[in-house]
Amino acid sequence: MASQDVVHYDTPLQKALRVSAALFLAAYLIWTLLPFVIMFVSSFKDLLEAFNLPDVGDWSGVGIFFEFTPTFEHYSSLFSEGNFGRYMANSLIAAGGSAIVSVVFGSLAAYSLSRVEFRGKKDLFFWIISTRMAPVVAVMVPLYSIFRTLDLVGTLPGLILAYTTFNLPFAIWILKGFFDNVPYAIEESQMVDGSTRFQAFWSIVPLVAPGIGAFVVLCILFAWNDFLFAAIIGSGGAKTLPVATRELVQPQNIQWGSIMAAGVVTTAPMMLLGLVIRKYLVTGLTMGAVKE
Amino acid sequence: MATVTLKNVWKYYGETPAVKDLNITCPDGSFVSILGPSGCGKSSTMRMLAGLEHISAGDVLFDDERINDLAPKDRDVAMVFENYALYPHKSVFENMANPLRLRKMDDSTIKDRVEAAGKLLEIDHLMERRPHELSGGQKQRVAIGRAIVREPKLFLFDEPIAHLDAKLRAHMRGEIKHLQKSLGTTMIYVTHDQLEALSMADYIAVMHDGELQQWGTPSEIYNHPVNAWVAGFVGEPAMNFLTCDLQGNGDKVHLSHKNFEIPLLSEQIKRLNGARKAKQARMGVRPDALSISMTDPGEPSIKGKIFVNELLGGDMLVEVELEDARIRVKTTPEFNGKPGDSCHLTVNRDKWHVFDSGDGHAYF
Amino acid sequence: MTDVTNFENKSMLSGAAQLFRARQHSVEVEARPLTDALPEPTIFNPPAPKRYYLYLMAPAIAVLAFISLYPFFWLIVMSLQSVDIGSSEWVGFRNYARLLKDPNFLSGWGLLLKYSAMCLFMQLAIGLMLAVIVNNHRYEKYLVTALLMPMMMAPAVAGLLWLFLYNGTFGWYHWILQSLGILDSASILASQSTSMYAIVLVDVWQWTPLITLIALAGLKKVPRDQLEANMVDGASPIRNFFAITLPNLYPVLLIAILLRFMDNFRFIDHILVLTGGGPGNSTKILPVYLFEVAFKFFKLGRGAAIALTLLIVTIVLGMILVRVFDKPQSERK
Repeated sequence: MASQDVVHYDTPLQKALRVSAALFLAAYLIWTLLPFVIMFVSSFKDLLEAFNLPDVGDWSGVGIFFEFTPTFEHYSSLFSEGNFGRYMANSLIAAGGSAIVSVVFGSLAAYSLSRVEFRGKKDLFFWIISTRMAPVVAVMVPLYSIFRTLDLVGTLPGLILAYTTFNLPFAIWILKGFFDNVPYAIEESQMVDGSTRFQAFWSIVPLVAPGIGAFVVLCILFAWNDFLFAAIIGSGGAKTLPVATRELVQPQNIQWGSIMAAGVVTTAPMMLLGLVIRKYLVTGLTMGAVKE
Repeated sequence: MATVTLKNVWKYYGETPAVKDLNITCPDGSFVSILGPSGCGKSSTMRMLAGLEHISAGDVLFDDERINDLAPKDRDVAMVFENYALYPHKSVFENMANPLRLRKMDDSTIKDRVEAAGKLLEIDHLMERRPHELSGGQKQRVAIGRAIVREPKLFLFDEPIAHLDAKLRAHMRGEIKHLQKSLGTTMIYVTHDQLEALSMADYIAVMHDGELQQWGTPSEIYNHPVNAWVAGFVGEPAMNFLTCDLQGNGDKVHLSHKNFEIPLLSEQIKRLNGARKAKQARMGVRPDALSISMTDPGEPSIKGKIFVNELLGGDMLVEVELEDARIRVKTTPEFNGKPGDSCHLTVNRDKWHVFDSGDGHAYF
Repeated sequence: MTDVTNFENKSMLSGAAQLFRARQHSVEVEARPLTDALPEPTIFNPPAPKRYYLYLMAPAIAVLAFISLYPFFWLIVMSLQSVDIGSSEWVGFRNYARLLKDPNFLSGWGLLLKYSAMCLFMQLAIGLMLAVIVNNHRYEKYLVTALLMPMMMAPAVAGLLWLFLYNGTFGWYHWILQSLGILDSASILASQSTSMYAIVLVDVWQWTPLITLIALAGLKKVPRDQLEANMVDGASPIRNFFAITLPNLYPVLLIAILLRFMDNFRFIDHILVLTGGGPGNSTKILPVYLFEVAFKFFKLGRGAAIALTLLIVTIVLGMILVRVFDKPQSERK
């Protein structure tokens, strides 16, 4: 029945610390969120107005940032000439597709790994997780060759397969933990009641639903934000948002307005996801090493 | 060594009061137990004494000095936690030396005190071990050792033996009581186990729902509970309660029930003054204040049917079925009544109690 | 918070990880378990034949093997060849020999270490301070949500955004740096001496929240009992932090460091976008060099050799991670 945190008795030193902590926090928040604000606001600015800066050292002139007439032209050009609708769809399909494939295969594998024991199981497990940690650049070299031979370069299925390379081991790793928490007794009682082994498995899937939900969200996050795979393997037919945004940087004429708008389009959905996913974020990002 | 006084102490967690208007005075050098079920406010009280919770209202005094605003480290209190709270990365020696090191004592004093405590608690052979290598009982002694090396004004023990097995608990009860007597320091001991409180304490503060129910010596609490709740909480096996009618007037009053009609003793009638208007009352009698026989004893007694016998080693507990309730009687193991038999129960009227059927306060 | 993934037990140390021979502690289980759940999941032999489960696993393992083992061997093969468009010839270990003499390869590693060190140092310092400040704050939930936003951005997009912000003519962060006197008119990206700081700053901006979140999770696990006991023993809150809180945090922080270190090998999106490895070679950390060799110059053979070295180092780090990851579980008392 005790209160939230260990109790405090304020000394002058503690008060001073408290104040500097608040200042530090405020400064950090500004530094962290300012780029988002700039990106968002600049996406509505006409190109010339976007380049308006106060004089060096003129801190009071910062208000210039807000003096502009808003325009939607960058957004509309993205979707009309820039084909961004299609790229968005590509991102969605690639992310969602790989999530589904990973969940389906991954949950079967996770379930098996959770229930069965055999020699070398731990080595297998380590190998699975190592595929998640490997640098994409390194693996990309042979993968590109293989995909080229299979004619998968530039196709969405190819991209989905590529994303599955790092999503599948992640799924197995995370879901195994969830399955470990479901006592086998539940399946046994199902089987005694007359279900087949697979039906018993199916009946406990709802119990790991939170894990599956968390994984799907994280999986989508990684695939949506990926650049390397999409650039190399998806190039041509399966362009996704990050790649398309990058391509807006042309040497002769960098269209900053469109880039900012593209940035907003690419980032906003994921920010919404971030609001949703808080609970399992740390577990997901540390691959289960740190549990909340 | 200090006298601890709590004056009108309240503790609120948000809007909820956990401790309500507590007034207690613990004499210097005494062993005081705060007894009560979970949620009664005993842990909150202890934590307020230690300084781990702010005091919402009222005063806490150590020997006339108001200590409400002092940080724990300035209060000279030592505490033993329920889960021992040992530092896992330190050896047993360092765990016990911690308070002394924080007070910047010199190494030789520290060594002497820690070794003395270790010898006293019979853990001197464990000095270099880490907490995770110790058994529960050993950990608890280290925790106690950490408390006694400081020679503080006050000891606070928060259910320290709750997690030990039954035999070890029984052993530690004696050990802790002896320890407190030999050190002479005031000790406040929080527990939910009434047996611990009764066997160890000089004084008991019984709490329920944040309020002090009764303050007294163990024998006062046991023999003269101030209300039905205290009577039912203290004592194992628990007191039997029956709802009865008060009938008669003048100097002949008896308690009347479907299964019996037993007259009150004259002093008891005097104490009843207010209650006679109420007509209904609750009678309380402990299993060891009843005797059972298969034949009619001649005096007014309770008639019932045996429900079940339980042999408890040196005693037998018989559960007797009445019209609307079951009560338990303690008797000798040689008792040969069987379930279903009719029997008679005689009440030791020096040891029975009558409580108000409304608010439960005791008439006698 | 329910303990969702309490699946690891001591015997998770695989044959591979045992190469490092972790010290085994004798462990005694505390007298009273905190929940009614079993302390470890029971591994049993279910009535279903093992075959059944192996069949279930097979599709996933097959996909993984195709995607990781196959390329791995392909890599080895490729590294022993000199690959050009359409042709390849076997050259044995020539690629590797060349690497040892290749200044870009060697500096690639050096720069990678320098880059990691700077990122980690800043992320740890700032992240830990933030975690301590935010822990049990009145607006903790909102603060954490705000803080984690940079992690949600695609690293490539982050690179582009900071390209805009760093620009010498119209970049706002350049303006701030200039107004603070830290920079002259030349953009931070333009000069070889400052470009490394540019990419470090972006990585710090994006991933400090991860350290904060991890540290926060660790802070919440510090046993309150020990903090309070130390307070009663006579410690001030600052003393408490260094004596009790930090030692409890070390395992978690170590995991965070290892993870981020490995991430530095992988996340090069923002570097490619911001500097492409330049100016000169000043930001050409090894993975970026690899990208250049393999996908700009298409020297797949040499690329494969570089990739192999990168992979081997990653695997070694991974084994360390798994071993460290195991320890907090067995030492938690």
